[in-house]
Amino acid sequence: MSSISKAERSMAALFHEFRSIALETGVAPLANGSARLHIGRNDDGSGGTEILSAVKLEVQTVEEGGVDDGRIVCSVSCSPTAYPNLSTGALDDLQHDLTTVLHQTLSHSSLHPSNLAILAGKKSWLLNLDVVILADAGNIYDAVFMAARAALWDTKVPRTRSVQYKARKSGKASADMDVDEEATSGFDTRQVSTAADFELQDYWDEGEVLEGRDRWPVCLTLNLESSIQFLDANLQEEASSPLRILMLYSFGTSPPALQAMRTLNQGDLTLAHIKTLISSAEKYASELFKALNAKLVEEDLRRNQKARERFSGRLGF
Amino acid sequence: MASSSRVEILNEGGFRSDGRKQFELRDMVIDLSQQGTADGSALVSHGLTQVIVSVFGPREAKMRSQTIYDRANINVELSIASFSTGERRKRSRGDKRILEMAATIKSTFEPVVQTTLYPRSQIDIFVQVLQQDGGLLQACINATTLALASAGIPLYDFVCAVTGGVHSTSPMLDLTTLEESDIPHVTVATMPGSGKVTLATMETRLHVDRFEEIFRLACEAGQILHKEMRAAVRSRTGVLISAMQSAAPRQGIKKMIR
Repeated sequence: MSSISKAERSMAALFHEFRSIALETGVAPLANGSARLHIGRNDDGSGGTEILSAVKLEVQTVEEGGVDDGRIVCSVSCSPTAYPNLSTGALDDLQHDLTTVLHQTLSHSSLHPSNLAILAGKKSWLLNLDVVILADAGNIYDAVFMAARAALWDTKVPRTRSVQYKARKSGKASADMDVDEEATSGFDTRQVSTAADFELQDYWDEGEVLEGRDRWPVCLTLNLESSIQFLDANLQEEASSPLRILMLYSFGTSPPALQAMRTLNQGDLTLAHIKTLISSAEKYASELFKALNAKLVEEDLRRNQKARERFSGRLGF
Repeated sequence: MASSSRVEILNEGGFRSDGRKQFELRDMVIDLSQQGTADGSALVSHGLTQVIVSVFGPREAKMRSQTIYDRANINVELSIASFSTGERRKRSRGDKRILEMAATIKSTFEPVVQTTLYPRSQIDIFVQVLQQDGGLLQACINATTLALASAGIPLYDFVCAVTGGVHSTSPMLDLTTLEESDIPHVTVATMPGSGKVTLATMETRLHVDRFEEIFRLACEAGQILHKEMRAAVRSRTGVLISAMQSAAPRQGIKKMIR
């Protein structure tokens, strides 16, 4: 295919601009955190890439010698609506590819949130992140990671309290026998928790926010075509780029950490080229990160505002 | 003695666990706006049960072996989101329960879609369940009807489905998850114009004396749902016609909605 000149790029979009992105959090009331993302949706709601993501927390029992910090499992499911021309086998393959990229990036230990433990050594939270692709109009990786980040941002971990049952001491000791009771020494400074169970606390909110919100990475797909690199490709542009490269940046630390990188399509790169790509991708990724964060904070405010208004309305303020 | 904390299915005042009366149906929300590249799509909610159906077709079949020489082949694929229920459950696409439900939807629509008009082609119906709170098959069937109508596929009539159950001797309509797990229930899908029934399915045990009453009630409830669905299709058609008229003001476009 011929090279894509600036004039040919549809919608008069510049190479480094994204189509319009619409994001809404809290769309699945039964989930601990959820988000719905649209990229490039038309006015009447058609077209564009649409992703739905949700986080559900389950209690898991830690096995002997296992990690008691909690686990993260990610999965992507492609609705046949998004890929109406793919057979079931091809759909499963695509699902598996996307799941692998998402899971390997997000379950890395450097991103692991610290508040997923419940009872040390016994119980912890298993975080299931499910992403459903409802429509694909290009730039699917960026969209999946954005939706995943939004759902993780929205996740609230329920507050728990350890509970310990103490057996009631037996009745009157026999007068005949001398019962030696074990006295607890004042020098015993170990803090071994003998709590065997936990209960959910009844709080007015759904829990505390999942820790490490800033660390979740943003994905940036660079489409390379001769000397031009452009972002947010639609389906035709993706098919015509000889090389695409995914870069995932985490902005929790400074300087930002490059969490993952992957090349797609059949092109090849020199090491010097990769270095220049990394520096330019970091710039775009940080803009995307700031914009996404601003939107997520705004969503939080909107939902809390709505809840507060409803609450005060009910009380007749 | 400690008081029972069990939720009452129907209390003395005649109210159910979610505040509805016996024969009251849940709020139905219908959204027929276009989704992705589908020919027709419908997002239907019955209370908290939310289902989105996309229809592609009639189009060339993906596998020539599945075509029928004189009619269109209807292919239904159902996928249930893992986060749709209170407890997360990952269901693979080949799960028997899901295949059974997809086959039920297909057999419900076989006599309704005018397939003889499109021989050797395929009509794909993709159902995606987003939230579940009882009445899943009912929501899937209602959404499929609307999606088929929105795609412009000729149908003999609408298909309206509703669940009905009996709590001791009191019949109830449009059950939630709590009620479905407690009382025997039946799902009935009817074609409101002719009164014909295209689906009646039950998996619990119900006494035959009670069956007639609840079946009759479910058929009547189908008529009510039919009004809602027609109103939604009418308003959607109005939107499309005004869009067409603004694009080509000189061509006259007749409104032909019965």
